[in-house]
Amino acid sequence: MIKGSELGTSIIGKNATAIGGLEIIKGQARYCADLKIPGTLIGKLLYSKSPSAQVTKLDVSHARNLPGVAAVLTYKDVPGKNSYLYVYDDQPLLVSDIVRYQGDIIAAVAAEDEDAALSALDAIEVEYELLPGVFDPVEAMKPDSPRVWPGKDNITAHIVEEHGDIRAGFDQADIIIDNTYTTQRVEHAFLETESALAYADHDGTLIVYSSTQSPHSDRKQIARALAIPENQVRVMVPFVGGAFGGKMEATIQIHAALLAYKTKRPVRIQRTREESILTHVKRHPMTIHYRTGATKEGLLTAVKFEVISDTGPYINSGEEVLGASITLGYGPYNVPNARAEGFLVLTNNPICGAMRGFGLPQVNFAYEQQMDELAERLGIDPVEIRLRNGMKSGSTLPAGVKVLDGRGMKGTIAEAMRLSKWKDRSLIARQPEAHLRRGRGVGCSLYSTGYGAGVPDSASASLDMAADGSVLLRSGAADMGQGVHTVLAQIAAEMLGVKVSSIKLVTPDTQVTPDAGPSVASRATYVSGNAVIKAALPIRKSLLEVAAQITGLDIDLLSLRDGYLFAEGEELHLTVAGLATKALEKGLQMHAEGYYSVVLPGDYPEDEDPNKTEPFTFATHVAQVIVDIETGDIQVEKYIAVHDPGKMINIGSGLGQIAGGIVQGQGYSLMEELAVEHGYTQNLSLESYLIPTSMDVPEMEIGFVEFPYKYGPMGAKGLGEIPTAPVNAAIANAVANAIGARVRHLPITPECVLDALDKQ
Amino acid sequence: MNKIDLTFTVNGGVRTVATKPHRTLLNVLREDLDLISVKEGCSQGDCGACVVIMDGFAVNSCLVLAPQAQGSEIITLEGLAQNGELHPLQKMFIEKWAFQCGYCTPGILMSCYALLLHNPVPTPDEVKDAISGNLCRCTGYQAIIDAVMAAVAS
Repeated sequence: MIKGSELGTSIIGKNATAIGGLEIIKGQARYCADLKIPGTLIGKLLYSKSPSAQVTKLDVSHARNLPGVAAVLTYKDVPGKNSYLYVYDDQPLLVSDIVRYQGDIIAAVAAEDEDAALSALDAIEVEYELLPGVFDPVEAMKPDSPRVWPGKDNITAHIVEEHGDIRAGFDQADIIIDNTYTTQRVEHAFLETESALAYADHDGTLIVYSSTQSPHSDRKQIARALAIPENQVRVMVPFVGGAFGGKMEATIQIHAALLAYKTKRPVRIQRTREESILTHVKRHPMTIHYRTGATKEGLLTAVKFEVISDTGPYINSGEEVLGASITLGYGPYNVPNARAEGFLVLTNNPICGAMRGFGLPQVNFAYEQQMDELAERLGIDPVEIRLRNGMKSGSTLPAGVKVLDGRGMKGTIAEAMRLSKWKDRSLIARQPEAHLRRGRGVGCSLYSTGYGAGVPDSASASLDMAADGSVLLRSGAADMGQGVHTVLAQIAAEMLGVKVSSIKLVTPDTQVTPDAGPSVASRATYVSGNAVIKAALPIRKSLLEVAAQITGLDIDLLSLRDGYLFAEGEELHLTVAGLATKALEKGLQMHAEGYYSVVLPGDYPEDEDPNKTEPFTFATHVAQVIVDIETGDIQVEKYIAVHDPGKMINIGSGLGQIAGGIVQGQGYSLMEELAVEHGYTQNLSLESYLIPTSMDVPEMEIGFVEFPYKYGPMGAKGLGEIPTAPVNAAIANAVANAIGARVRHLPITPECVLDALDKQ
Repeated sequence: MNKIDLTFTVNGGVRTVATKPHRTLLNVLREDLDLISVKEGCSQGDCGACVVIMDGFAVNSCLVLAPQAQGSEIITLEGLAQNGELHPLQKMFIEKWAFQCGYCTPGILMSCYALLLHNPVPTPDEVKDAISGNLCRCTGYQAIIDAVMAAVAS
């Protein structure tokens, strides 16, 4: 185990100041809504009044003639492709015939002010003929259920993966545990609602400021909808007020672009909180049947599970989310015989898609409670049973993907045990009062970095060093607060031997910054970080060549750090700025583009082929709770989380990712649920959809262990997604430990607790 | 609707704005005075992104009608640094990574500033209480509480 400080250079592994941080704490950070252009029209969208209906009349003529109204657009006004979304683009931009959920968009309005825009929305005449609709995924799977898409099966994907001999595996088992788990639909609740500002530039280029995780995908979708070339669309990303997967998909930026294109005026769309909760994708609710077989020593012999995932009416990334549930649903354990089956089901409920953890948190809730129940029934310590089955370097997931570096499994468990004093049972033995029960639970996870083995995944970045040693770093990777810009600047600074303050990061702008792909899947640090390293290499070479010429020393003895030249650790009183000046005078390469592809063949030994391996990260969390057996109330008293980031490039942002992920996971575990009745969402405000406040947060102790990943930039792996995943299991296991009864339903409300106690 | 003249003090300067009386203090500060630190997150007092100081107390500016601010003294995050010197809260928020996306940060900083006006040496629980009306979805709050305690210590 290597602690962060031992590995760190002057830059990597340190707490570098957040890029953009000064603007944020001064109140000068400009998010989409803070960008102002005189004469900007206010854009508003008309959402469906029904979750399932045929639109029989759509008349916008009256609305178009109202004072102050510049445009009222329907599906007839979309010049190009009238559909969008990130992976599978099956949602209409503007509905032509059938509305399939409450967030479907029927018309887009642009007006001089908000009052005029709202009046125009009111004046649009829409008549609906209600269709039956289907709101329960299990009902939707039946052959005679109403169809979300006429003529198309509601089961839109059916995945079956079987490895080993599942029957023989269960035959070998001394104990079999069979349970059903249900998880709920939850909302990202990013503080900045969806926002975009679009206008045509002097040369006709359509400029779209977008609150997004995916600038280049936005560009593609906007160009396709408007039937104009992609190079005529310029997507720029200012500060983004949180995303968590909810801004991977395009939301309102295409509609804003369409309105600007049609009106030839700047147009702003900013969703209200109500519109935001109503429309954008949610975390998939899943029903999971889980069957675990093991020997009496606690070794897994077979695992079989089935997942039913309600994706709402559009597929978008639903199949990928379900695929992640299937691949990762065995947890970080060696499972010799395995069978997983997944059903992706269309309903008229709110649409689901990417959300932090991307299919893992749901199955994590199931597999980790199965492990605990197994331990309990066999009389084995919950941690011990995890260690007995835990993956190691060289282990393979049932799907065949190899864990190249699995040291994080044992490493995170050991550190979490140390921090939580797991072996000291006196910590939980004392009950504070007669009606209170204290308990402790553990939850483990593994998550991949990037899209997954064999899936094309690449990014580009560029670097320019000027004669004064200052550097421009161009990357199309969006920073939504997770800190990737700071991390990329640190990597560039480390590689070029300058201070982080010498790096100027050019924020995503599709006409200036190279495509880095979306900031999703815990991939940005890994893929873009490697691209930055590749861009830095030729520039560093130019600097060192100049240095070797000046000093007469062998180039291999020279290094650059903090703006100075060093020879075998000794400072030589030559600055990087001076070397840069000379290099430019000599016409050496001081600009470079770095392209990194995860699946590029040839760079790897055969057994490390990235088509068959993934940079997996591991996490072990321990929750300590107090449960009131009279009210069912759960208080998370203490929370310990240990992660394995490969190399923590920035301590501040890395620990922040973990802390924030824990609290999101806590909300998912205990309080959050989008209440949907017959397709109508009931809690459309932050007053009724509750997320954790400062008063809900437990005492947290956050640790990390570092096992630098061979192919990671500076050894780093992804960290964004995994912190949310094990939380529900750690809390559920702690509750079970406290009250001696299990809750297999999320969120674990006081009612669930009392119910579980009643059934005891 | 007729406009009214609203005269109040903002970050130490007297300002007069002609506004329709049904608009909120949030609208006036953001749109008329270009004080962009005042963020809109929900428009109904649930999230705290628009918190400013009004006559010494933290208020959700989305819940204050413009005429209610007549004659009041308002401080926004733009007014927190004095003579170019960052307030200790600001310094510690940067040092402790007490923000990620930053959207809730102005409101949280103003809630913390209001706390310190009345209680210069708060306990961590008092800090938690002071920001309990400010939602943050990124940080998990702990770094914010640590930053405020560090600012108090400095």
